Amino acid sequence: MEKVNFRTQVLTRHLQDNHRVAATATATAISSSPCLSYTPPEVSEQPSSFDVNSMRKLMDGHNLEDRDWLFNLMIQSRLFNPKLRGGKVFVVPDYNQSMEQQREITMKRIQYLLDHGVFEGWLTRKGFEAEMRKLALLEGGAVQFFGTKRHHDRWLGATENYLIKGCFSMTELGHGSNVRGIETITTYDSKTGEFVINTPCESAQKYWIGGAANHATHTVVFSQLNIDGKNEGVHAFITQIRDEDGNVCPNIRISDCGHKIGLNGVDNGRIWFDNVRIPRENLLNSVADVSPDGKYLSAIKDPDQRFGAFMAPLTSGRVTIAVSAIYSAKISLAIAIRYSLTRRAFSIAPNAPEVLLLDYPSHQRRLLPLLAKTYAMSFAGNYLKQLYVKRTPQLIKTIHVVSSGFKAILTWHNMRTLQECREACGGQGLKTENRIGQLKGEFDVQSTFEGDNNVLMQQVSKALLAEYVAAKRKNKPFKELGLEHMNKPCPIIPSQLTVSSARSAQFQNDIFCLRERDLLNRFAAEVSRYQAQGESKESAFIASYQLAEDLGRAFTDRAILQTFMEAENNNILSLLRSMYVLVTLDEDAAFLRYGYLTTENAATVRKEVAKLCSEIRPHALALVSSLGIPDAFLSPIAFDWVAANSWSTVQN
Amino acid sequence: MASTNGETDQVLVEEKSSVRIFTLNRPKQLNALSHTMVSRLLELFLACAEDPSVKLIILKGKGRAFCAGGDVAAVVRDLTQGNWKSGVDYFRQEFTMNYVMATYSKPQVSILNGIVMGGGAGASVHGRFRIATENSVVFFYLMVYESCISRLFAMPETALGLFPDVGASYFLSRLPGFFGEYVGLTGARLDGAEMLACGLATHFVQAERLPLLEDALISADSSDSAVISSIIGEFSHIPNLKKNSAYHRLNIINKCFSRRSVEEIIAALEREAADNKDDWISSTIQSLKKASPMSLKISLRSIREGRLQALVNASSENSEWLAMSSVGKLAKILLRAILLDKDRNPKGCRAILLDKDKNPKWEPSKIESVSDEMVDRYFSKVNDDDWEDLKLPQRSNLP
Repeated sequence: MEKVNFRTQVLTRHLQDNHRVAATATATAISSSPCLSYTPPEVSEQPSSFDVNSMRKLMDGHNLEDRDWLFNLMIQSRLFNPKLRGGKVFVVPDYNQSMEQQREITMKRIQYLLDHGVFEGWLTRKGFEAEMRKLALLEGGAVQFFGTKRHHDRWLGATENYLIKGCFSMTELGHGSNVRGIETITTYDSKTGEFVINTPCESAQKYWIGGAANHATHTVVFSQLNIDGKNEGVHAFITQIRDEDGNVCPNIRISDCGHKIGLNGVDNGRIWFDNVRIPRENLLNSVADVSPDGKYLSAIKDPDQRFGAFMAPLTSGRVTIAVSAIYSAKISLAIAIRYSLTRRAFSIAPNAPEVLLLDYPSHQRRLLPLLAKTYAMSFAGNYLKQLYVKRTPQLIKTIHVVSSGFKAILTWHNMRTLQECREACGGQGLKTENRIGQLKGEFDVQSTFEGDNNVLMQQVSKALLAEYVAAKRKNKPFKELGLEHMNKPCPIIPSQLTVSSARSAQFQNDIFCLRERDLLNRFAAEVSRYQAQGESKESAFIASYQLAEDLGRAFTDRAILQTFMEAENNNILSLLRSMYVLVTLDEDAAFLRYGYLTTENAATVRKEVAKLCSEIRPHALALVSSLGIPDAFLSPIAFDWVAANSWSTVQN
Repeated sequence: MASTNGETDQVLVEEKSSVRIFTLNRPKQLNALSHTMVSRLLELFLACAEDPSVKLIILKGKGRAFCAGGDVAAVVRDLTQGNWKSGVDYFRQEFTMNYVMATYSKPQVSILNGIVMGGGAGASVHGRFRIATENSVVFFYLMVYESCISRLFAMPETALGLFPDVGASYFLSRLPGFFGEYVGLTGARLDGAEMLACGLATHFVQAERLPLLEDALISADSSDSAVISSIIGEFSHIPNLKKNSAYHRLNIINKCFSRRSVEEIIAALEREAADNKDDWISSTIQSLKKASPMSLKISLRSIREGRLQALVNASSENSEWLAMSSVGKLAKILLRAILLDKDRNPKGCRAILLDKDKNPKWEPSKIESVSDEMVDRYFSKVNDDDWEDLKLPQRSNLP
């Protein structure tokens, strides 16, 4: 009874605190007592100190009108499963659908968007915005890349209109990241002018082919090309795998990859080729061709370079993955931060109102650094897209290295953010309707496809080492991959870091450069030490994996910071930039391990991170509003979660 | 014009037990909301919120209109005389009033027995219960509807429609499919049956039964939405849509009005027209082509943006209409429009508005000449010394 009395007292106090209209506190008020009710953060928070629209523009960077239109199309269609929760419509996946239903609805959605003219000109139109759209279609991208005019005329329009449904057959059961090792084999029959494609063994079956299990009519298949007994390496061919009625073509066998931990709306399949014959013209011949009489012709003589040229569309895949990972992080942060601005827990003093989650410094520390990183990586994503769109043959190496590093770091960041946001939402994070858990499932695979993150990071370090070796050997300055800072004298980090220097762009840039420079030196030294002991270059490299890992991160963090500094145009972004750098210093043990930071400096940095949290806190709402995620794509806990869970919604 | 007691006369107030009935009383002007009326309504609503003896508010109009929206003619008169600040003040008050209604703790029953336009829709759709009758006609001057409206009602101000109306883009964007785009861009009129079908009205009651309904609500003496809903339910029925209702054409509307831009919407309609002879399609195309290109583009953008983000999601019992949210945002667009017009050519306004010119000369005159950047200006942050961001009152009764 005492407890009941106490509770009543607390309720009464809450009523008085937050509810100036005491007159309405009659019987109805008890059923909706204010301590358990919802105040929109727009009402409770201070108005934003910066223009949210301009910030959103800066963050999204391009095609804003297109995006908003697409959002509108999705929200207004039953196909995207709109649900009314707490007075707002949310488009949510239907979690009770089976894999087959999810696949079916995916195709219907594509058809719906197609019918509304969404894909018009995605592959055939020119210009920056069109280039951005092109990134979305991998198979079309492959045709565009490797194909020449004859392929473009015949296939691109049809792909854009989904008259043919393409898929991209590269990965095999036995070979994923190591594309050069794939076992599918193609020979040329000069009598009929046809290529003959074969799956020679079970490990050569194509695996994870998106769209293959149910829908695709055509595929771009990657295969070794064997001409007159000589293996010319990996090439790409267009092959029909189903007829117009959806029946699998002769000599093709297709099976399903089965249920997955995410992306069940995508019908990943497996394909076997049994002497499949295709016309000679179906070789995507931008890199190499075979003459009618069976002569192998290629402008690129070096097979390594030829292979590199074939890997180009994977770059486009990495670009889209890196960017979409950041949008997933944005969704989860917008949900978790909005929730933390409306949900309270525990009172500090016995009779005080409970405290907003985001007013706890510890909660700020969990979410706000991730928000700052997401801002940083958002700019990195924009830079990567720009780099990709403006690609030239000279930029291939840069694009490969930057896209590898960014893809790995951004997708890892996303998964970490999702987990933290899930936990920050407490039990509500467990509900699928609140999205974050579902994003974890859907985005998990991003660390694997289009290049395993660990492999990609090793490639970054490998490429840096190659630059290093070349520069040292020729005794020439560095001029690529952003390594120019290595030509300058080694930056000096103050042994007693002050608060103002910790926040200066100069120090922040210096310490990231210092880490990269020192790790590259160490890595080169370690590899050559192993080589001096008689190890091959490859095994020396494998043995130096620890430094390779640290170096890959150092390069990528430094590159991200530079994109941030280029985009930075106001104080709030400077604050976020400082947070991005200082939290990286706080979290990455390399700075202490190799002595870039003294222990005192590390302590200063840690204090500063906490201080930055409290400085960013008042901007939290405006910062998540600037992420540009429409309300309908967030979730009930981001808005009136009391109304969304009220008894009246149960009755309806 | 208004006499000293005219201020109260423009809104009649009846107290019937725990119910307050507010009647908009400017029948000659179709109850267009004057500055006086807006202030008075705001005052009344705020007072009733504090008064524990009030349980329910009924809002209705005298004469053949519920409310013909804001008194835009007066505002534009001010504007053309260089007194733009007073126009801004007017809109600010109107938005505040709508915001208060949208976040109101007590149920509001709006009886839409007649014409509802623009601001009138704003004043009613944010209430929990919206009753249509066989006399209801609703339209939004999101765009100019010069010929049609002025012929019908001889209402010069309805010819303006240079900008989207109070919260209209918010609730238009919540109509099924792309019906909101259709209504907003073409200025199509909806009758009571259509209002009910698309969700603008919550009930349909025969006009002759309204007095009985009022009595029933008064004797119910309740604030409980469920009780009120069931009382209204006893008087209401679901009428048939008229044969040529646009609502029957939801498929074509969804197909065409979902397109990315105004140009593409018109092109899609023209493709439909080529495929089948349908007067409805050709008159829809006509009305789009007659409208102000700038206003079409602003309207489309504001509906689409209104669909994506509600700035304040005011909580209330499962009523999505109550999310007044967009008020702040729309206020900015509108006021921005006024400021831009102030800088631009105020003559353009007058020609359309006050001189009843039958052939308005739009600037720019062609849809394709209105660039995204020009539309952007209406949505951008205002940097003006005279500018004060719209400050919405802290709602003490926000749950």
